[in-house]
Amino acid sequence: MEDLLFIGKSIPRKDGVEKATGRALYTVDMVLPGMLWGKILRSPYPHARILNIDTSRAEKLHGVKAVITGNETLGIKHGFVETPRYPPDQYPLAMDRVRYIGEEVAAVAAVDEYVAEEALNLIQVDYEELPAVFDAEEAMKPGAPEIHPSHPKVKEHYKNIGGKTESGWGNVERGFADSYLIREDRFEGQLRTHCYMEPQATLASFDFSGKLNVWTSSQGPFIKRAKLAATLGLPQSNVRVLKAYVGGAYGGKIDLFAHEFCASLLSIKTQKPVKIVCSRDEVFESARHGQPILVELKTGVKKNGTLLAQQVKVINNSGGYRGSGVVVIFLCWGFVMLCYRIPNLKYDGYSVYTNNPVRAPQRGHGAPNLRFAVESQMDMIAEELGIDPVEIRLKNARQPGDILPNEDSVRNCGLIECIERAAETTQFKEKYGRKESSKEHRFRRGIGMGVSSYFSGSLIYPNASAALVKLNDDGTVSLLTGALDIGQGAETILSQIVAEELGVSMDDIRVVAADTETTPIDIGVWISGGAYVTGNAVKLAASDARRQLFEAAAQELEASPEELIAKNREIFVKDSPGRSISFTQAVTASIAKRRGNPIIGQGHFRTMKDVPAHPSLATTKGRWSDNYAFDAQVAEVEVDMETGQVKLLKATTAHDCGFPINPLIVEGQIDGQVSMAQGHALWEEVLMEKGKTISTSFLDYKIPCAKDMVESHYIDVITEKYEKDIPYRTKEVGEGYVSGMVAAIANAVYDATGVRVKTLPIHPEKILMGLKEKKHRGK
Amino acid sequence: MKKQLIELRINGELCEVAAESQRTLLEVLREDLGLTGAKEACGTGECGACTVLVDGKPILSCLTLAIEAQGKEITTIEGLSKAGELHPLQKAFIQQGAIQCGYCTSGMILNAKSILDENPKPSREEILKGLEGNLCRCTGYNKILEAVMAASTGKD
Repeated sequence: MEDLLFIGKSIPRKDGVEKATGRALYTVDMVLPGMLWGKILRSPYPHARILNIDTSRAEKLHGVKAVITGNETLGIKHGFVETPRYPPDQYPLAMDRVRYIGEEVAAVAAVDEYVAEEALNLIQVDYEELPAVFDAEEAMKPGAPEIHPSHPKVKEHYKNIGGKTESGWGNVERGFADSYLIREDRFEGQLRTHCYMEPQATLASFDFSGKLNVWTSSQGPFIKRAKLAATLGLPQSNVRVLKAYVGGAYGGKIDLFAHEFCASLLSIKTQKPVKIVCSRDEVFESARHGQPILVELKTGVKKNGTLLAQQVKVINNSGGYRGSGVVVIFLCWGFVMLCYRIPNLKYDGYSVYTNNPVRAPQRGHGAPNLRFAVESQMDMIAEELGIDPVEIRLKNARQPGDILPNEDSVRNCGLIECIERAAETTQFKEKYGRKESSKEHRFRRGIGMGVSSYFSGSLIYPNASAALVKLNDDGTVSLLTGALDIGQGAETILSQIVAEELGVSMDDIRVVAADTETTPIDIGVWISGGAYVTGNAVKLAASDARRQLFEAAAQELEASPEELIAKNREIFVKDSPGRSISFTQAVTASIAKRRGNPIIGQGHFRTMKDVPAHPSLATTKGRWSDNYAFDAQVAEVEVDMETGQVKLLKATTAHDCGFPINPLIVEGQIDGQVSMAQGHALWEEVLMEKGKTISTSFLDYKIPCAKDMVESHYIDVITEKYEKDIPYRTKEVGEGYVSGMVAAIANAVYDATGVRVKTLPIHPEKILMGLKEKKHRGK
Repeated sequence: MKKQLIELRINGELCEVAAESQRTLLEVLREDLGLTGAKEACGTGECGACTVLVDGKPILSCLTLAIEAQGKEITTIEGLSKAGELHPLQKAFIQQGAIQCGYCTSGMILNAKSILDENPKPSREEILKGLEGNLCRCTGYNKILEAVMAASTGKD
């Protein structure tokens, strides 16, 4: 890609100055004249019937402008997934029943936060407590309290099943019968949370034209608009969701949330702007965390380590409503089958209602816990067979051109190269299995590997992205995109594409982004399709603008448009660079030539454009994605054998990312994911007791701090390229690398200590307990 | 509660604010003075997003009453660049990719400034130790460390 000036270059982010100077405005910073503050009253019970809500005292409090309860709403349910099989199951404000501690039952708008808070204390809610259930497996039992009575069930004999995914191929019984070795293990992922630094926040302003304007800390404005419009009973065109800077999201800010609905409805009622900012303990206690997943995994292999059969049962505790629970059990099937060739598979995934807060996607959406299970067991099998962990992975890894059971192709999958290069760079084979030789040392080193794969965009509303590229009179370029920069660098990489296609500089490009009123539809920054789907839409829009510009410039230069090249703000004739005009002159000329018709390039892109819809969440049938990223990661750890403390010393990520559009940004994504994996594997856990959140602050929930920084190494496996006038296939880099690393850390801990921890996080006491058991067994 | 007149010296300018005595410095900066660069992420002194400099030392403005900061020199992120010229730390954070979502950035840069003011050539360990009270969920701290190292050695 040596001809490219912008693609593949480590260009600093476009919003850097605004962010470094404190000028970037986040939703929490926004203020409008006459703005009121909203606060939300939440259920103190995990499961209860609402008998009566008396808001009269709150309404009389001086400074209170409006109080809303479920009765003031249209009673329209919404859901992360809304399909005939999985109809919406959650009211934006509770109506007759609450199903978790923290569920929203009323909201207040007042002149300031203090008055709003005081008003909450004056709302009297009469509840009738109902029996509750918190553990997913308990909730599946016949005698468990039913959380959604009168709700169509996926399976009658399991009352609280919110969703089920069943899939498989081949004949697992025969596969197991032919196996030399069969292992059955159970792995438990923990409840962890995003810890986006900007809390959930929304500012809603209903104007006199009947339009609701909303700024909200999110992962894409279009899905928010659709769900706000539906639940408020407004036409979509009367809801405008606008861009604000977003202080982190990691999956936790996708769906419609009650604070967004309440701020909007309170603004409609009061005819004033209303802002709601959740406190940090509110975020910990009632916002959506990640999906805790149980994996029961039975695997059969030949003597040489070749996989013959896998039987997988995944149970997800989805909380009081489905949230993304029915998606995560579909995705876990995918994360099983993507990395290795499995001739026979049986997969069952259950998403189970419990009386816990609802759960959301969190970076990797099931993959980190699922890969932790598969990769841990892979090492256990390798050890039993006396095969090296690298060899067993190479033996089973997906190869280029493999067709997946749903008919997707892994295309030019670089997994084998990832495994080989990760092993080689880290001297994996030399370091692995040395634990015996350092038996006497208090601090022991270990090395472990994990592999994973992730999809790059899929068909979920709004399925596609479009973009406009507008050439301005002064030679600057405006890019209109619905993509939202949540820190991942969307505006920067999209500008690089425009700069490359038009031969202008990064500074020439102005980005207008993430505004449902003025920018075209966008797939959203939560499905790992930004760089691929939106990027290609932008590429097409920019090349459309270039084509139009070349037509005008060709006359000026007395050449044909095909002969022209745009570079360094010049347009010149190929092979005779002397014949040129500046980009600005060409734009000016085009305006005159086209009699005022400005050049606006259009582009749109949809993956799998002839596939009508997303695959079945129930059966996994149908196309899922046409672009998969792969990685192999290696963790090197040191374990204090006296205290059980684990230090992650070094993380190496070899990844098939297609090609990096901006290596600096890709490295930043990898570092962030390694850090998140470190927290996931070693420390992070939201503790809950009977539906009540115990971990309500950063003191109770330890995320990595600067002192915990991990040395991070990157190996780019390049399998694709960027060429003019052809859609490109770069792969996702934002989610997949938590997964391999969590597993790699667990495997490295085993390599160091001989202790296999199957429940996350790997707290020191689990290691010490394991060492004690080992010692005991040794005697 | 009755409001009182508070005089604060911020980024070299004297500001007068009428505020209740229980209002934190962070609230007054953000809500009364429109200096929203300092952020609240926890409100309880755990994350460092609200860090500002008072007499050159980093403090958590969410745990500091505005009245306590009277008579002192307060520096916020808005006061770091001079006459449109970015501070070397701001440039380094941009160049090295140390900013992603940017929510922790102002606190991080101000704390880094206090580290470098005290010790212009800190070791990697000294930087990481100095920044351990500033949480960042995006970067894993790698590029932040590189940025502070770059600023300390005079490289962009």
